[in-house]
Amino acid sequence: MRLLPALAILSIAVISYQLILMHILSIVQWYHFAYMVISIALLGFGVAGTIISLFRKQLLKNLDFLLPASMMATGLLMATVIGISQSSSVRFDSYLLFVDHSQAGKLVLTYLLLLLPFLTAALAIGIVFVKYAEQIGKMYFANLLGSGLGGLLAVGLSWIFIPQRLPAVIALLPLIAALWVLGSPVKTKWLIAFVLNLAIIVTIIFRPFPFNLSQFKDLSKTLNLPDAEIIYEESSPHGFMQVVSSSVLRHAPGLSLVYPETVPVQKAIFKNGDWYGTAATAHPSEDTIVYDYTTRVLPYIVRTRKKALILNSGSGEDIALAKSKSTASIIAVEPNSAVISLLDNELSAETGRLLQGPDLTVYQEEPRTFLLKDTSKYDLITIPTIGAFGGSAGLNALGEQYLLTKDAFHEMWKKLLPEGVISINCWMDYPVRNSLKILATMVEVLLESGVDYPEQYIAAIRSWGTITVIVKKTPISSQDASLVRDFCHEMLFDPVLLPDLETNERTQYNMLQDNDFFHYVDTLFTLQRPALYENYDFNIKPATDDQPYFSQFIRGKSLSHLAQLFGTNAIAFFEVGYLIVVVTLIQVTLISLLLIITPLFRLGWHGGWGVLLYFGGIGMGYMFVEIVFIQRFILYLGNPIYATAAMICALLIFSGLGSYITSRIEIGQARLFTVFLGIIGLLFVYSFSLTSVLQQTIGLPDFFKVMIMIFVIAPLAFLMGLPFPSELKRLNRKSPQLVPWSWAINGCASVISTALATVIAAELGFKWVTILAAAAYGLPLISTITSKK
Amino acid sequence: MKLTYILIFILLGWQSDAYREQRKSMVTSQLEKRGISDNSTLQAMGTVPRHRFVPKEQRGYAYQDRPLPIGYGQTISQPYMVAYMTEVIKPQKDFKVLEIGTGSGYQAAVLAEIVGEVYTVEIIPELADQAKKKFTELDYVNIKTNNADGYFGWEEFAPFDAIIVTAAAEFIPPPLIKQLKEGGKMVIPVGSPFLVQTLMLVEKKKGKTTTKSLFPVRFVPFTRGN
Repeated sequence: MRLLPALAILSIAVISYQLILMHILSIVQWYHFAYMVISIALLGFGVAGTIISLFRKQLLKNLDFLLPASMMATGLLMATVIGISQSSSVRFDSYLLFVDHSQAGKLVLTYLLLLLPFLTAALAIGIVFVKYAEQIGKMYFANLLGSGLGGLLAVGLSWIFIPQRLPAVIALLPLIAALWVLGSPVKTKWLIAFVLNLAIIVTIIFRPFPFNLSQFKDLSKTLNLPDAEIIYEESSPHGFMQVVSSSVLRHAPGLSLVYPETVPVQKAIFKNGDWYGTAATAHPSEDTIVYDYTTRVLPYIVRTRKKALILNSGSGEDIALAKSKSTASIIAVEPNSAVISLLDNELSAETGRLLQGPDLTVYQEEPRTFLLKDTSKYDLITIPTIGAFGGSAGLNALGEQYLLTKDAFHEMWKKLLPEGVISINCWMDYPVRNSLKILATMVEVLLESGVDYPEQYIAAIRSWGTITVIVKKTPISSQDASLVRDFCHEMLFDPVLLPDLETNERTQYNMLQDNDFFHYVDTLFTLQRPALYENYDFNIKPATDDQPYFSQFIRGKSLSHLAQLFGTNAIAFFEVGYLIVVVTLIQVTLISLLLIITPLFRLGWHGGWGVLLYFGGIGMGYMFVEIVFIQRFILYLGNPIYATAAMICALLIFSGLGSYITSRIEIGQARLFTVFLGIIGLLFVYSFSLTSVLQQTIGLPDFFKVMIMIFVIAPLAFLMGLPFPSELKRLNRKSPQLVPWSWAINGCASVISTALATVIAAELGFKWVTILAAAAYGLPLISTITSKK
Repeated sequence: MKLTYILIFILLGWQSDAYREQRKSMVTSQLEKRGISDNSTLQAMGTVPRHRFVPKEQRGYAYQDRPLPIGYGQTISQPYMVAYMTEVIKPQKDFKVLEIGTGSGYQAAVLAEIVGEVYTVEIIPELADQAKKKFTELDYVNIKTNNADGYFGWEEFAPFDAIIVTAAAEFIPPPLIKQLKEGGKMVIPVGSPFLVQTLMLVEKKKGKTTTKSLFPVRFVPFTRGN
């Protein structure tokens, strides 16, 4: 049957395209806007289901034409829509959305444009599902198999092609699928259409549409500087890395006012158009002297460090600092292989061979995974600076930050030698959020580790713009405190936390508008800490692995108060990330309701509730499970990109196998009942036992860990692959007109649940996402019981 | 033909009146109401035609209580922010003020209404050129513009009574501190362009340099139960 490979190829294209589109939109705009646009675009599946519901007979009558035509259209649209959306008449700027209302129209236009390739692809897939509903097991298998492989293909292609070329490269796949469906001999009109499409796509591969980055992206602003030019760029699944040189590019975050020299010019590194860092250098020159005039040098003021662990070493600033302080042994952990390669090769001379030398070992790994596996002890552990100069505008709000959870700091604490410290550098923000949350986290970690008086173990100093906190394994001595005081005096910094600190010492050189900040800091060390969490306008309660959103500060109940203080527009910029996910959820829910209700005017409501519960439930449940598994296996496998790709691939392929079985074995309602109980049961078993299994086996070689992941995923994924084709087949026999509608419901539910899972994880934690996954699978169970009666 | 000229003249006059009204309203509702009390600052804000410093397509929003994009990833600050930064340096007629980051030129124009000499440095050539033309058009003869790297200030005319840095920087350039007169004030905004910004006041007194965070909007945490 020619259809199966064609369907699989088209599915590969759809998932690869989705991931690549996300990557591109993250480059030209921001990640969260990419997320919002993609969510709407994926509703193309819901739209296709609704169209097929409304025009089922006409579409089926013209299947021979529609199938290759929609596949070819998919190819053409995949290659062109991104370019069109970048043209000046359509292009919107996410930064201006909240200040220039005309941008909203352009955003809607972008939604519609980017929805088109998903719509045409979904039409092709949907028509096949409806036409061959009796063989849905095989069809769905091909669809899931293709989707699983699509993720891997996107990761692979990202190493080979620059992002501008990728959409057109992927666009070749739907063309191949169309050719496959047409079989041979191909009629002349189809051949002409194919050749024309191919010519356009190949032209775009070789002459891709240029990217127009938002003028507010860090890279755009940097390129406005004199002599600024991109001197190197490299594409990888970790992101699009670019290096910029300019004669005026200087970087010295939070520099002391007494710095006597000229701040050196440096090369800047950008990831997806966002500032990543400057290429640090190991040269014993003014480059490294700059660090001596910042608060981040604090751990070295107290004593010389023999063994330092630098987590998320990034562009190497903490490595350079450690080297400049003659640290005997430096262990750097960085998950982004592209940046390691960049510093070690292209920028090696520029950085004075920063990543080389007997004093340094670099591990390419997720820091949390390294912490769980590593058994060494250190006298210094550092993490990257928290927050961004001027605030990150809440962009990180809904990015999981596993290095800033209490669980992460517990791991670090265990690895400290008696004189060892954890050092955390943080930008001062206003209203104060980041520094209070990090201090709250450290206080709780110390208390949970059996320390009775955390204030004796923490020192913190503040410049005009940054605060550096060190947490020591043993109490801070009066000698340590004296060294810190002298350093502060010399650099015009102020101590914030030190044993025996006088109140007036805190604002000798850098005054705040009021002293509330110090009051909150002191409150964190008292029994009033929970009351402060409860009453403060921002969420400063420490993050945990279950709710790993350190930068999610906004609280629904404070919104009106903040709007009153800062104005409604400003709220958006406090927590853009979180706001975008909530707006996305509202948008996709409303559009989905419209898509689901519209066909009912033609189909009638008879039997609708059962179908809605069943297909809505399995659509939601599946995505919830997928999201929970991603969260679990990122830390386990130690590489977010490969872990996600491998996990999704395994999940979809095993679900595909489950689907395939339904073409061989009839799954009646009694069996379905058992399947749902099995899924819910496994979810409960996993929610109680998975963490300990993963923790105990995290030190194993990668091959075994992948095997364990497959072993964990396979049974659940297999079971989750059964309900959709089984019920669709049954529905086709009973009410064939409801088949496309059920597919539309399933598509819409998947999109809604992705945004919903993020909001639930942020508000309640991932454990609740697992519980809701089980609850979602309870819906079809209810539907099955009801229809049995 | 004559009729056309008359009509254009009437329309321009009507529009100019409309902007004057908006400016007046801006001073009352956005500045005085929020505590800007320095007379010279209020007068300058009421005089400088802000709409001439924003791109044509943004003119309709020129006097609204918000920053506006001016291209090149830059913005013209919210009127209140400009007034606050002006007031905070306590400007006097005989002051020589350095501005780093000319941008639209609006802040320099406001300063030029009050102080004797304004020196403004802009790193983006296109913005520097536009601002220079604007100053000539509006007859601001006491503003000198330079297209250069603001990091180095403008040593030729140093020392300055006050320095206003309008482009936020992640460090305070040492040359600027050197070019600040004893007893002088420097003000720098910290924050993303569309968000409420924190201002940093740097003062040089008796050889000692200190900073103070100034927040145009005071954050008073809401205590539930109160």
